[in-house]
Amino acid sequence: MADKIKLFVNGVEVEVEAGKNLIDAIGAVGIEIPHFCYHPALGSDGNCRMCLVGIEDGRPPLVPACKTPAQAGMKVLLDAAHIKKIQHDVMELELINHPIDCPICDQAGECKLQDFYMSYDKQPSRMTVAQVKKGKKLDYGCGIVHDQERCVLCARCVRFCRQITKTGELGIVNRSDAAQVEFFPGRPINNRYAQNIVDLCPVGAMTSADFRFKQRVWFLKRAKGICHGCAKGCNITIEHNREKYQEDRIYRFLPRLNPQVNGYFICDKGRYSYHKENEGRLTVARQGSQVRNQADALAACNQEISRSPKIAMILSPNCSLEEMVAVKSLAEKLGATLSGFSDGYISAGDGDGYLIQDDKSANRAGLGILGINSNRAVFEKDLGEAQLLVNFNNDLTRSYTEPELRALLKDTKMILAASHDDGLAAMAAIAIPIAAASEYSGSLVNCDNILQSFTKAVSKNHDPVDIGTLAAQLGSPLQTRAEQFSELRKYLSVLKNFEADTLPAEGLKLTDNEATHVTA
Amino acid sequence: MSNRSQLISTGKPFQFDRERDAEFERLSTRYPTRESLILPALWLIQEQEGWICQEALAYAADRIGTFASKLYEAVTFYTMFHLHPMGRNHICVCRTLSCWLLGKQEIVDFLKNEIGITPGQISEDGRFSLEEVECLGHCGTAPVVQVNGEFHENMDAGKLKELLATLP
Ligand code: SF4
Ligand code: SF4
Ligand code: FES
Ligand code: FES
Repeated sequence: MADKIKLFVNGVEVEVEAGKNLIDAIGAVGIEIPHFCYHPALGSDGNCRMCLVGIEDGRPPLVPACKTPAQAGMKVLLDAAHIKKIQHDVMELELINHPIDCPICDQAGECKLQDFYMSYDKQPSRMTVAQVKKGKKLDYGCGIVHDQERCVLCARCVRFCRQITKTGELGIVNRSDAAQVEFFPGRPINNRYAQNIVDLCPVGAMTSADFRFKQRVWFLKRAKGICHGCAKGCNITIEHNREKYQEDRIYRFLPRLNPQVNGYFICDKGRYSYHKENEGRLTVARQGSQVRNQADALAACNQEISRSPKIAMILSPNCSLEEMVAVKSLAEKLGATLSGFSDGYISAGDGDGYLIQDDKSANRAGLGILGINSNRAVFEKDLGEAQLLVNFNNDLTRSYTEPELRALLKDTKMILAASHDDGLAAMAAIAIPIAAASEYSGSLVNCDNILQSFTKAVSKNHDPVDIGTLAAQLGSPLQTRAEQFSELRKYLSVLKNFEADTLPAEGLKLTDNEATHVTA
Repeated sequence: MSNRSQLISTGKPFQFDRERDAEFERLSTRYPTRESLILPALWLIQEQEGWICQEALAYAADRIGTFASKLYEAVTFYTMFHLHPMGRNHICVCRTLSCWLLGKQEIVDFLKNEIGITPGQISEDGRFSLEEVECLGHCGTAPVVQVNGEFHENMDAGKLKELLATLP
């Protein structure tokens, strides 16, 4: 916990964290200092002058709040007439050449210029000369569309490419009212985190080709999620909306701050993985080529299970800990083998030492904690001896080609619980739709042994079950999420003080002992 | 302010000549960080070619070990860098207050009559180019003209005529 200090804002005493600049320190207690160029991940640049405040202690009459550390006893002035005047004037300057195209601008609703105009300015224009017009709808690479006219030259995008991705594609060229963000000719933005630029841009100058004009942001509902794109488990906000008579759809994933995991950013691939939540889904149960309702399909599964003397089970390394423990109990009850084999989820060499990991699964650590064997040879041997394979959403097509799979399955029947209708569903005797990551709750352990939980964000019309529930329906002794969670406490002593869904927002760092499966 | 962001690509690779290469290496030991070489490198290119093309910028960025976007920023910010070929003799006429009061327009008008170019133009034979610039810092001896980097103080049409005659 950082030290607290007391200072005054407009004469009122507030307690803030020591060591932060005024924007962050005072912002944390709900007092806004308007700013464009400062961003906690990029540091202060001091170029926008929107954050000027007064300090009553003999300093210069105005100081930029982004560059001024909070100090005990400081008297910060925000509401004085001369500060209000500065805010008006900076806004007026920003708006001299800014096109007022808010009604068609994709950033409307989350634009700092628009917000600050409403809070700090609201004056008629005094401009009598023609506006400087700049480029519109320019392709800047990596799915980023730049609208030069709207740019307030805060340089956040420039600094992101230089400081965070270290690719340095962007610069501010020219000067005065011809200044504009450009990439060096022939070298557009080209990095795996580029879409963060869109989030960083405080106005509508950088927009995402993927999201533009799909939704007004104020229609979107927001839920917290964890990206399942790789073992990092970046924290995301899932923005979705269900239009009348339609299916609930996700429109975008945005990064959600977690200093312990991903900081302020996520990778583009993870960001775009929302498409997979919407599309290509398995939505109805099938037995062979026949569509079945859920109850009939379940009954058929139970019949298969009861008539198979030897059963092999496999689960996905994306399953939550709760799902894993439920399936594990089911396997133990039925005397089935259980595998977490999933080599196909690893893309060697793809990781970058920053966020992106080689391992494209969200909970491989969970397999280790629960002692679920992931060895390929063991899985193949078990499969060879079984009459039935129950596959809990493990996309085996990542590890095997179709002929290999057919050869492997030979006369072993497969029950497949799948969120997506990929090549595997066609090979299954029975296929049952299940929830995708955004549609249920659970917890995961990431590559740094941080245990995090996520909750259901999206409700589909066909309302698929999660694997934990399905395992319960197939007879797992752990019937509820609460039971699954208390079973998990046997493996993870850190959980003894927590209930499901009450894990700390930043996650729990597991000790090495816990992570390497030393049961309590 | 004008938009200078349109770089010209010559389609040909650029390289410092022997002399500039040596000078670049000499300068590189002079600064604590290599990025300080941005402006000197731009001057060296301009000295060598008379102007700065896209390939030269990319080359200098590689030599310095920095982002090409940083050189792009500098070269478009400082108007003394030429982003297209100039005349063999480049004439800058100061247009700021002292020079303006003491007759810069006379000089500009003279050049228009004499060689037929107005500020921003290059003569048809490629011998001259003309540019009006902000204060050259020689206000005490205004009006001031800078020809190929050299200052000529207390200028008037007559003196300029003599000077032009000496130029290649
Ligand atoms: S494009 Fe956006 S982020 Fe970049 S400088 Fe302009 S306003 Fe700032
Ligand atoms: S780094 Fe991994 S977890 Fe993070 S957003 Fe990308 S794919 Fe998702
Ligand atoms: S936020 Fe302080 S100057 Fe921009
Ligand atoms: S005004 Fe011309 S040199 Fe200063």
